Amino acid sequence: MRAESVVTPTTGIRPLVLGPSLTRAGVVLGFGTVLALVVMGVAVTAGSVGIDLGDTAGILGRRLLGLPIPVTWPASSETIIVDLRLPRVLTAMLVGGGLAIAGTVFQGLLRNPLADPYIIGTAAGASLGATLGIVAPLLVPALAVGAGTAWLGIGVVQLLAFAGGLGTVLLVYAIARGGGRVPVVTLLLTGYAVSAVLAAGVALLMFFSGRVLGAIFGWLMGSLAGASWSQLAFAAPLVGIGFVLLLVRWRRLNVLLLGDAQAAHLGVDVEREKLILTALASLTTSAAVAISGTIGFVGLVVPHVLRLATGPDHRLLLPASALYGAALLTLADLGARLAGGIPVGIVTALLGAPFFLWLLRRSRSVRAGLS
Amino acid sequence: MTPRPRPLPLLAMLAALVLSACAPSASPDQSPASLAPAFPLTLTDTAGRTVTIPAEPRRIVSLAPSNTEIVCALDACDRLVGVTDFDDYPSQVTDIPRVVIAAQVDLEKVVAAEPDLVLAAGNELTPSSVIDGLAELGLPVLVLYPSTLEEVYEEIHLVGAAIGARAAAETVVAAMLERADAVARAVAGAPAPRVFYEVGVFAGTIYTAGEDSFLASLVAAAGGEPITGDPLSTSISLEQLIAADPELILLGDAAYDPSITPASVALRPGWHVMSAVHDGSIRIMLDDLVITRPGPRIIDGLEALARAIHPDRFDPI
Repeated sequence: MRAESVVTPTTGIRPLVLGPSLTRAGVVLGFGTVLALVVMGVAVTAGSVGIDLGDTAGILGRRLLGLPIPVTWPASSETIIVDLRLPRVLTAMLVGGGLAIAGTVFQGLLRNPLADPYIIGTAAGASLGATLGIVAPLLVPALAVGAGTAWLGIGVVQLLAFAGGLGTVLLVYAIARGGGRVPVVTLLLTGYAVSAVLAAGVALLMFFSGRVLGAIFGWLMGSLAGASWSQLAFAAPLVGIGFVLLLVRWRRLNVLLLGDAQAAHLGVDVEREKLILTALASLTTSAAVAISGTIGFVGLVVPHVLRLATGPDHRLLLPASALYGAALLTLADLGARLAGGIPVGIVTALLGAPFFLWLLRRSRSVRAGLS
Repeated sequence: MTPRPRPLPLLAMLAALVLSACAPSASPDQSPASLAPAFPLTLTDTAGRTVTIPAEPRRIVSLAPSNTEIVCALDACDRLVGVTDFDDYPSQVTDIPRVVIAAQVDLEKVVAAEPDLVLAAGNELTPSSVIDGLAELGLPVLVLYPSTLEEVYEEIHLVGAAIGARAAAETVVAAMLERADAVARAVAGAPAPRVFYEVGVFAGTIYTAGEDSFLASLVAAAGGEPITGDPLSTSISLEQLIAADPELILLGDAAYDPSITPASVALRPGWHVMSAVHDGSIRIMLDDLVITRPGPRIIDGLEALARAIHPDRFDPI
């Protein structure tokens, strides 16, 4: 990522009526688009099996654009490109983009620099759901492999992960609510406590999981190895809807950065807005997590880096997060594939955290826009 | 190894399948020209999946060493185009491209091998997401996971049918049955000692044969009374183990870790109260690999277990 090339010092909240300058927005979004497309191209071209660049281009042109290109490649190459790599790369872009948007929203909404998409229980809830889904076939043979466990084109693990993630956030929200208000601190602490209980449930299931322990472990670390068109078709509309509905609320998110009292003075129905934003960000996160497991750092680091580059205005921050999040996770997953299929969550943590540290030392104002 | 509860109809289907596989008139190996073609062939695998194999497989990918051994025992080693990095037997399989590395199935490499049959392992040894993914790509995937000696025979018949080598499967299974019968005769009538088979001890948790597991059934077939652990986690607490009071301890983990010896086991806190420890009945099982790999060599494992449990019933090697 070369996002830091457009870093300018940010000193705090700028007037809300003024968005980022058109040129800066153009540079950030334009560079982000090019970066995402280049990374996508490289990721489709590279993999554990070498496929000729010309063949790759030919396969893509023939299958995606319907060009009359003569087939000079083995059928297996076409399967690898079209059915394995392409859905995996698109899944990485969708998940990376979704997590980065959700992270941006939670950091703004909770005014907390440590916030990530998982902070109020999505990860713990989705993990428990997925773990239940993985362990269930051991206890209920009817759920075993191949016994018709796919609904809506996805498996029971993905469905339970999605439901667990979204359900947990709603539960946390209900518990944190008091007197018609949901104070941010209460929400954070409730999320922490509920997550702890669910994590204990995951640990308990893991102990009794026998042979499927590896599958649970892989899911918890986050992996895109199971990516498929059907999973993508499940998650893409959900993440897409979440993204669009979050994007149109950029102005309210900006106002919420001032604090609940200030926002209320400016005419925002703070509690309603908090609920809507939390629900949308959790929907996006849960859909992404359902098809990838809990991939860390993307949703934490990308918004911070971009806030340094663009300032705190969500009109630019949200679409930029999607682009750079997509590029980052696709790149990380390429690394994971080339490193012998290790879970991508390891790569994002291994590379993301040190990069973040470096950035933190370079800039003394990483919390700009949040405090 | 954890047991899998499974519906009875599946067993019935499998039994019917095996019976049909045993019918000599259907064997393409004996009179290939005169009878109806053996392929396309529709089979039901151990996971209860219906698998259609369009033509006699020429390019087979094996995702587990036990599957590889079955294919090679059926004289079809030269048809293997992909194996795991764990494969070591027979020795020529180490030259075959590896599509499973560090227990990770590389889907791209499997597809690039252009297989017309994939032999996966059940019970999550091959992750179910991988099995579903391969099937979704249109590859015939046969899932194998025997949980008793009898099921190993059934799986060999199943693979024999799937690759058009039914007669070879007959021969292999007949030889295995003969050796298993010899073991059964040798240990018949001998009192069955309580046997604790140590799979491993990790972070203080003791792992052994799970209740109703393959390993437990093998120990029983070898003339022992297996002490079993939890069916899912396959662990047993030290308290339960002491209460079960093993008369014989077999150290499967000692095959891989030379620091585990009868002497080191006797020194573990609390273990001295077990009958096996003060009688000195602790043996190292160097044959752990064939005991825990459900392929054609499982009979080697059975014989090794029987010799360890009833040394007096066998001639010294």
